[in-house]
Amino acid sequence: MQIVASNTTNSSAQDLSDKRNENPFLVIDNVSKVYPTRQGSFTVLENINLTVYEGEFVCVIGHSGCGKSTLLNMVAGFNKPTTGEIRLQNKLITKPGPDRMVVFQNYSLLPWLTAFDNVMLAVKNVYPQNSKAQNREIVKEHLEMVGLTAGANKKPNQLSGGMRQRVSIARALAIRPQVLILDEPFGALDILTREELQEELLKIWQEHQVTVLMITHDIDEAVLLSDRIVMMTNGPKATIGEILEVPFPRPRDRALIAEDPRYYGLRNQALDFLFNRFALSDDAY
Amino acid sequence: MTYDSCALQNELPFLEIDHVDRIFPTKEGDYIAVEDVDLKVNKGEFVTLIGHSGCGKSTLLNIIAGLDRATNGGIILEGKEVKSPGPDRMMVFQNHSLLPWLTVKQNIALAVNRVFKHKSKKERNQIVEEHIDLVSLRPAADKFPREISGGMKQRVGIARALSIRPKLLLLDEPFGALDALTRGRLQEQLMKICEDHALSVVMITHDVDEALLLSDRIVMLTNGPSAHIGQILDVDLPRPRHRMEIVNNPSYYRMRGELIEFLNRQKKDKVQKAKRNVEAVVSRGKIEKVNLNIGFIPLTDCAPLVIAQEKGLFAKYGLEVTLSREKSWGAIADGVREGRLDAAQMVTGMPLAITLGMEKKEPVAIVTSLTLSRNGNAITIAKSVWDAGVRDLVSLKTYIQAQDHRPTFGMVHPASMHNLLLRHWLANAGIDSQTEVDVVVIPPAQMVSNLISSNIIGFSVGEPWNSRSVHEGLGYIIATDLDIWNGHPEKVLGVRADWAKEYPNTHLALTKALLEACAYCQPEQNREEILGIICQPAYLNAQSIYVRCGFNSPYRKGSGENLYLKDFNIFLGDNSPNRSEHLWVMAQMARWNLIPFPSNYDQILDRMLDPKTYIRASEDLNLPVAPVSLAPIVLADGEIFDPSAPMAGLPNSTEIREFVGDRQLV
Amino acid sequence: MTSNNLLKQSSPNVVFEWLQGQFKFIVPPVLALGSLLFIWQLLCGGETPPLPPPTKVVTEAWKFIVDPFFDNGGTDKGLGRHIFESLKRVGIGYSGSVVIGISLGILIGTNVLMYRAFDPIFQVLRTVPPLAWLPISSAVFESFKESEVLRMLGTDAVELSAVFVIFITSVWPVLMNTAVGVQQVPQDYRNVAKVLRLSRFEYFTKILVPSAAPYIFTGLRIAIGLSWLAIVAAEMLKGGVGIGFFIWDSYNSGKYSEMIVALFYVGIVGLLLDKVVFYISKFLVQTDS
Repeated sequence: MQIVASNTTNSSAQDLSDKRNENPFLVIDNVSKVYPTRQGSFTVLENINLTVYEGEFVCVIGHSGCGKSTLLNMVAGFNKPTTGEIRLQNKLITKPGPDRMVVFQNYSLLPWLTAFDNVMLAVKNVYPQNSKAQNREIVKEHLEMVGLTAGANKKPNQLSGGMRQRVSIARALAIRPQVLILDEPFGALDILTREELQEELLKIWQEHQVTVLMITHDIDEAVLLSDRIVMMTNGPKATIGEILEVPFPRPRDRALIAEDPRYYGLRNQALDFLFNRFALSDDAY
Repeated sequence: MTYDSCALQNELPFLEIDHVDRIFPTKEGDYIAVEDVDLKVNKGEFVTLIGHSGCGKSTLLNIIAGLDRATNGGIILEGKEVKSPGPDRMMVFQNHSLLPWLTVKQNIALAVNRVFKHKSKKERNQIVEEHIDLVSLRPAADKFPREISGGMKQRVGIARALSIRPKLLLLDEPFGALDALTRGRLQEQLMKICEDHALSVVMITHDVDEALLLSDRIVMLTNGPSAHIGQILDVDLPRPRHRMEIVNNPSYYRMRGELIEFLNRQKKDKVQKAKRNVEAVVSRGKIEKVNLNIGFIPLTDCAPLVIAQEKGLFAKYGLEVTLSREKSWGAIADGVREGRLDAAQMVTGMPLAITLGMEKKEPVAIVTSLTLSRNGNAITIAKSVWDAGVRDLVSLKTYIQAQDHRPTFGMVHPASMHNLLLRHWLANAGIDSQTEVDVVVIPPAQMVSNLISSNIIGFSVGEPWNSRSVHEGLGYIIATDLDIWNGHPEKVLGVRADWAKEYPNTHLALTKALLEACAYCQPEQNREEILGIICQPAYLNAQSIYVRCGFNSPYRKGSGENLYLKDFNIFLGDNSPNRSEHLWVMAQMARWNLIPFPSNYDQILDRMLDPKTYIRASEDLNLPVAPVSLAPIVLADGEIFDPSAPMAGLPNSTEIREFVGDRQLV
Repeated sequence: MTSNNLLKQSSPNVVFEWLQGQFKFIVPPVLALGSLLFIWQLLCGGETPPLPPPTKVVTEAWKFIVDPFFDNGGTDKGLGRHIFESLKRVGIGYSGSVVIGISLGILIGTNVLMYRAFDPIFQVLRTVPPLAWLPISSAVFESFKESEVLRMLGTDAVELSAVFVIFITSVWPVLMNTAVGVQQVPQDYRNVAKVLRLSRFEYFTKILVPSAAPYIFTGLRIAIGLSWLAIVAAEMLKGGVGIGFFIWDSYNSGKYSEMIVALFYVGIVGLLLDKVVFYISKFLVQTDS
């Protein structure tokens, strides 16, 4: 299969190369992760090198067990690399912090707090110096941004899966993180809600210009959202196999992307990587 | 006697879902989950039911399984009515439903021991072992379900289902709970098993790629309540299938687009229903229906529709128009057929195709009152073909004959001039477009990507797609339609006949607005302005550099030859619904076996063409009315079509029969 | 280095390493126990303490600590023997509640009408405390005092009423949990049974019981705890041999040290009973996750 080699110049390609000239924002520098087990050491990740620029949207895709979540946990600071280091704006990441907010697949909202209070809890902790009214304003603004003004006083179990994930995203963004980390945020949602939230995330990202690192299993989702798709090889000793540049201009529209001749080439290239070159073996799924 | 009953059984469908309704009584009255679903499944066929959650897919599958009963209608499997569940219709559930207290082997054995009671223990054991190997689960055979991954559990579910040799395998979103990538791997395994064992399968999914990979037919269900079959897609991809091969099949993304389009439309319907914003007919003054939904395809020659909108011509004649940007000509046809669209820009043969029920669809009478544009197409070949020395028809023929497989050409719709002119052009060189090459339908927007991935060697399409491939160095234009039939009708306005009858003043207003727009589009001095308008994201969403060629700039063929084709896009000239031309189209459609040639063609054209509305519109606008002419049509190759003897040029094998399908004609 | 090598090299140290691994689980409870005993010692260190301090308990009740199985006739027996007697009663009462609780549970769990009829009654009865059952059971069994049947069974009315209290206390959780477990058989499993056309018997043994097993065992665990609670209450009032009686007797005769030692025994036995049922359930029950 031929790979799309587009020689057209378009705005987004230029944007991207502009970003390259800036200083690296998030740097994953030669990182590997080894877990000791009874049978000896187990290398999950090896030689991961990735530089993410400010305002970039990067998707990481790979089969289950390829260590995507391990990588993400290290960026979040829940976990330390065995060798190598991860730096955010030249500062070494050693522990979790509000500058890198994570949105999990299972929402991780506190069930006894309302949507409003869930967001408020995070905001209060990050901005203790603010007045109560100021913080209320921040929470309101972010719930509004994800279209949840009406559900603000509902508890998580009164909200649908999509709504809960909206709260979770609002909570993450309300504290103005430098990097938004999304761990398969839409994996548990049905296709309609998923598409709706993808579009909303795209809009929010556009407005906030936050740097996003997102894990997904969905090729179409990655193509729609990201500037670059990082494809991981299979574990153990997983590493970055290939990085696809997504050249589509922004703001993006699902339907318009599907009309772009490069879309199908890009999609097929990702399929080829994941189902042909690095397909799962029989005892691995 | 025995022989007779056998023969009878062979005629019966394997599985018949016979007009099934399922109604649940609730406190607020009856809830109709599924309404009038009628479907026949053949032996060895893989049928997929696709739709959004809550569309009654699972209800339907449960009824087939016998776990639920239809309120009206019923299920017939091999001539017997299904009333209760049984092992001849084994089901694989979404959440695998393995018994957690049994190991993998025991779970399979439970089913085998139960169903094959009469077999010896050894035989039964052998069956169990065989099926563990079938799904490659040897290392996990003695593990409990909680000790294995989600993908493995689902494989056990499949092995358990297959081990009892069901006549029919029922799959209820078997991979729904797994991530997209694990799902892909399981699909491949399931597909192989199904192909190896020639299983009859009914599967539920909402994953379009899954449906395309596995199925022979995809049944699309509308949203509930009252879910019913909206559309059926035949997946004619060759088997055995491989994921990477089928995504490179030129039809793949067209079919994928159709499925997504259907699902999206359901999504929109859902939102609209929620808003209670169902469109009512708004009339004002003489105009019976003011609010119109008009479909177009983002191509250069959609200019009259865009101009009528942007220049306020629709409004001038009292219309409030929403232009609906459609993905494919198939979507346009279905949109008008189903009433989603009031009117549409159509390829020339489409009114005939819908009226005659081409491709085994229900005939719906269409009326056309206006020809919107002439010319504007070209045939492009891939760079690789050009590099192999192909410059004209003769060298193309040599090239095609030298290939070890049939090369594929893309075109946009069977009833389009792109198809008919391409085939005619190939026939001129003695290339039989039915045996020597494949000509497949690909939506315009997917042409270039198929050319890039070498799925096709060339295509026949409207602009800007030819110019775009030339501009990007991907292809060369080997012929324009001016080389085949200069001045052929390209796009026409089409509405349903019953619509035209119900809203005659609206129809006239629409025709007037569009005719005036055509007049605006024609002069050279307006073209630059029009270019800027149609290139906007809401319309073509293209860079003007691609659209410009031929429209108001020299036409580049890629060979260095730049033509100034003054008539490349004609919007004003003979805008009448021309009888001779449509007759030519009808004859060509019969020539390529798209339809049998209707012996009562005169009657059909009388109903389909509406010159009266055209004439009134022209007179109102003070535009010259094109004279009705029955003079022969002369094509660029010198071939003459005599409208008084339309069947003259047809091959002897052409089927000719009276068309009676249209109720309005009878 | 291969994993095999790793194992060989470390094998002499395996025991030591295991101990090292367990260290963090042993030290904290030992320290906690130590400090509690110390506080007790401090509180009860005065002239006439309400309870004897730990040191005094150990010296005074030494013979009960070192030899749990002595038998001097009458009620003067080692604590092990008292506990053994109590366990026998619990064994009988608990077995009864297991058999009757599970069978009745399945019956009312599978039959909606029965469930509707009996559930409210059971809900009331299950809250009645063990001590409240005692007078009723005494009254009932007292009337059979002279019965031939009792004599043939080699038991007497007093014994029976104690066993009955254990039974009636522990039967409710078994019954209610079984009923719920049976009702909660997932629709998927039922569908599997339907599609395979399992017979009623097969459905019962292959689907219903295994699926309800986690619920049943939860009930059994609660029940064993309750029956051990009930035995002490029942024996205190009844007399004879048994740990409940022993505690009551020690109190009446002012032997507080013995009473305290017995208390420890009761606690440890209760814990062991609970663990036994837990491990049985762990061995027998396979759940989905």
